[in-house]
Amino acid sequence: MGAYMPDAGARLEIVMNGEPSRTSATKWRARARGVAFIAAGGLVMSAASAQAQNASEESPALVQAAPPATLDSVDAAYDPLQGFNRGSFGLSMGLDRVVLRPITHGYMAVTPSPLRRRVSAVVYNLGEPSTTVNDILQGKPKRAGRSSARFLINSTIGVLGIWDVATGMGLKAHDADFGQTFGRYGVRPGPYLYVPVLGPSNFRDSVGRVLDFVTDPVGIVGGGSTTTFGASRLAAQTIDTRARADNAFRALDDATDPYVTARSAYGQYRAAFIREATREVQALPDFDDNIAADPVAPADPAAASPETTPAPSTTQ
Amino acid sequence: MTNARPTRRFAQLALVALAGLGVLAQAAPALAQGQREPQAEQFVQTRAQRVISVLADKSQSVAQKQATFHQSIDQLADVPRITNFVLGKYARTITPDQRQRFAPAFRAYAESVYQNRISDYRGETLKVTGSTIRKPGDVIVNTTISGGQLGQPVQVAWRVLGNGGSWKVVDVQFRGVWLAITQQQDFVSTIDNAGGNVDVLTKQLQRDAQRPASR
Repeated sequence: MGAYMPDAGARLEIVMNGEPSRTSATKWRARARGVAFIAAGGLVMSAASAQAQNASEESPALVQAAPPATLDSVDAAYDPLQGFNRGSFGLSMGLDRVVLRPITHGYMAVTPSPLRRRVSAVVYNLGEPSTTVNDILQGKPKRAGRSSARFLINSTIGVLGIWDVATGMGLKAHDADFGQTFGRYGVRPGPYLYVPVLGPSNFRDSVGRVLDFVTDPVGIVGGGSTTTFGASRLAAQTIDTRARADNAFRALDDATDPYVTARSAYGQYRAAFIREATREVQALPDFDDNIAADPVAPADPAAASPETTPAPSTTQ
Repeated sequence: MTNARPTRRFAQLALVALAGLGVLAQAAPALAQGQREPQAEQFVQTRAQRVISVLADKSQSVAQKQATFHQSIDQLADVPRITNFVLGKYARTITPDQRQRFAPAFRAYAESVYQNRISDYRGETLKVTGSTIRKPGDVIVNTTISGGQLGQPVQVAWRVLGNGGSWKVVDVQFRGVWLAITQQQDFVSTIDNAGGNVDVLTKQLQRDAQRPASR
């Protein structure tokens, strides 16, 4: 149940919602609250997508193996804004350490994981209508039917989404967002972008997040962060997503260059998510392709396979 | 509903944008052939399950688990090949001396880090769901890991190289992210930032491996 993009949408919702027609005091309050939420919530994104390996969820069609294919895939990162991005990353991780991580770890300490799973389920359920919107835009009526049926069933029989009874009826969850919709129609990611506090993204997905926000049916009906419902939803999303991404944060702690690790993981995760919509198969390069020339002598020759010797180097 | 109007306007913009993009839609390339590789599947089923079982075993102490993980990892993974892979372009320029220092440092680091990663997920049962042959000797085995503390099953893919009855894992994928590929980008960037000096990375790995577990 990876409601990553709905989360982002909700966060952007604040940014936008601060603006429209209010008295200036209300506006200010809304904006201040928005900033606070963004500060907390955005970090979640970084983690969520950073490693994107959340245990408690299932991603349909996660992996397809590649056919013997052309060299492609495993896109080299396109990161012309690296200077800015690194600063933004450092700031965001610092804020996580002092704000969101303590809150989240407190939440995790006082709630057993079965309870947290129910919270995740409610949050996820509220993201289903947004998934449906994108399913439709992607020209996938079956998936749209599935996500809307899931929403109806889980909101009623599943008691406001607490129980995912739809999965038991054969209606498996899937995610969709505007970034994916763009990707499905061939839009490339563009430059990598670490949005301050909001987390890893790229030009395509950033536009997608804004659209996710403005088209989110639950956001439109339930109001933005200025309503009690909207604010509660956002707070729950933020903490829930950060909690589910805790493993990803640990993984970043282990990296020698956490910035690059987050960028790489985000890029691969999003590419896989978009392949889900295009039904493309990942075209992995040969394992040793970018090394070539001088492979180490295998310590265990029995296991080494002769036919996977590297192809001539393409990198030199 | 103060924001209804901007919302609608954005929605309309989105539709217009999408209509334009539709023109660019590409045909989806043909899917991979449905060939499977039963021996590679069997290998992953047995060896990867063993590693997961060790880490999920509540009756073993952390030290015991570490020792068992240390031993079983060579049966599962092609460590020398991965060691070379994660160096990326620097695998071509590293000196034998540097390699001698790097290899054990990477091994210790990887053991501690990957043991943490696998333990984080706390699954118990691995089930092979299929495989695809990229080319002879290069197979992706798809699995589902479930049970234990996992709320929902996790899909994990294993890239195995080998032939006949002899296979080794070289990379693992969760949710679209290949670990060795990510590791390579991480390391190469670190070496780049050190002006191409692999020893800087080696030292960092030695420090990290000695760091007490974060939990």
